[in-house]
Amino acid sequence: MGNKFYTPDGFNDQFPGICGFKRELESKLRNLFLLNGYEEIETPGVEYFDVYKEFVAEEMLYKFTDGNGRLLCNRYDGTIPAVRFCAGRNDQYPVRYSYIENMFRAGKSGGGKLSGFTQGGIELLGASGTKSDAEVLAIAIKSALEIGITDLQVSIGQVKFYKGLMRQLGIGQEEQIKIKNAIANRDTVTLEKLDISKEDKETLQLLAESGGTYDTIDMMLPRVTDEDAKEALGNLREILDIMGNYGFLKYVSVDLSLIESLDYYTGMVFKGYTYEVGFPIISGGRYDDVAKSFGKDIEAVGFSISLTLAITALIRQEKYIPAKGASVIVGGNYEAASATAESLRAEGTPVILDTTGMDEEALENYAKEKGIETVMYMDGGNV
Amino acid sequence: MLTIALPKGRLADQTLDLMEKAGYDVSAARDKSRKLILEDKNAGLRFILSKPSDVPTYVEYGAADIGVVGKDTLLEEGRQLYEVLDLGLGKCRMCVAGPAELKNKLDEIPNKRVGTKYPNITRSYFEGVKGESVEIIKLNGSVELAPLTGLAEVIVDIVESGRTLYENGLDVLETVADISARLVVNRVSMKMKEEEIKPMIAKLKAALAEE
Repeated sequence: MGNKFYTPDGFNDQFPGICGFKRELESKLRNLFLLNGYEEIETPGVEYFDVYKEFVAEEMLYKFTDGNGRLLCNRYDGTIPAVRFCAGRNDQYPVRYSYIENMFRAGKSGGGKLSGFTQGGIELLGASGTKSDAEVLAIAIKSALEIGITDLQVSIGQVKFYKGLMRQLGIGQEEQIKIKNAIANRDTVTLEKLDISKEDKETLQLLAESGGTYDTIDMMLPRVTDEDAKEALGNLREILDIMGNYGFLKYVSVDLSLIESLDYYTGMVFKGYTYEVGFPIISGGRYDDVAKSFGKDIEAVGFSISLTLAITALIRQEKYIPAKGASVIVGGNYEAASATAESLRAEGTPVILDTTGMDEEALENYAKEKGIETVMYMDGGNV
Repeated sequence: MLTIALPKGRLADQTLDLMEKAGYDVSAARDKSRKLILEDKNAGLRFILSKPSDVPTYVEYGAADIGVVGKDTLLEEGRQLYEVLDLGLGKCRMCVAGPAELKNKLDEIPNKRVGTKYPNITRSYFEGVKGESVEIIKLNGSVELAPLTGLAEVIVDIVESGRTLYENGLDVLETVADISARLVVNRVSMKMKEEEIKPMIAKLKAALAEE
């Protein structure tokens, strides 16, 4: 019998009530993306390994070969295939793409972290500047609200600020790795032990523990001399202004310690959180250098939201409404029942037509078991 | 409500002492019954008692907001957590140990076999810091037996006083890392429950400074 009854580690079936609920959320997202001018694309889910090899650790990709022995892998995220697609075409920039698809991540799984999950997201390609950053962030917030995640906190960071600050402090490569890890982990223990001036230590400490909004920017500004770092703070300030216009300031805070993917992101970055799930449900930022891997120069910014994590959160926040199946079952005389079913369906009512010849009692019992509200039993030719 | 994961045993008691000193009412957690979850609604605290090596898992997945865990477990598990405070409790060292005659001669043995409860720490020390490949033999306890029986040349393990080592003719050969208990916080909780967590960190820090 082996493994034939089970799904592989890290992969789940979607049960009917949840699957229907998920499709509803997907429709809401799809609609939101379209309303903002983001056209949906579908990538095949299988890519050449070469597409990903610069961006994702080898052990995180599901790999296999094609008939010619070329190495392939499953889609790991929505961004890289979208950039590959965009780089291969001569389009008028900027272009706005969206996707809602399953992602596949190998490596550590089990214990709740899934290897297969669904993400929705957008990519704004060929557009630089703070207003583009703010557009993507605003849509990210809207997308969470749209699917019912109202307890939302979004942290915005700026990797340019961090890189500029490191330049300013004149910290060597090796020390930088230590500092990067310490800041990303908010490990103030390590920061305290660093061999740098008291004032610089304070700056790093503030960076690691940053929160708030404008106050954080005001506090950091006098501490930086590097032009890039200053510009990065200006970018965050303008983003906050625009979020204010949307009425979204209550959802956002500045967190300059968001520096996990320094090689990938090139400007503002953000992560979105809600109650009852221990991982961010939203992740996004500016990634101007990714297209260089495909031989193009395309400034870009995007985000993704994990529908799988969002649904987990909604269930735990008691905001999950199982999708309903049919509300009517029709049985008895087949011809009459079939005609009735068709006319109800024409009105938009989901109907099950009994095809197994259940008698009235069996039909009643079946409906009760399945939670079908209305039972219609036809005798003879009378309706 | 904050959920705090404590490692069963002495470290849990020491952490509660510290929290008490910081002004928290932790009487609910002093319950000596066999309950695994101890809740005090008034204080807004819920304590869960778990196996020490599971604490980072509870905190990473958000089943607990905060946890107390040894640096050894953190290094071994490599979890995505905020590590905000050194509690200074349970101080010890992670060491490479082996027969005393290997002192200063460790690098002379090629393709070492290393017995340990901490395969990840061992791998990153030998590969990352020392730049050599070793054969790691995962053990679950009484690791000192490995070099004594010839299962491995050396071991990587926690050393407190070193008495077990000395009594068995073994010695510390190299120090891998200094270990003590850390306060860890779930990355989402830090954002969503900032108003409860930040003051707690500050109060614990102040209580530690007094000591």
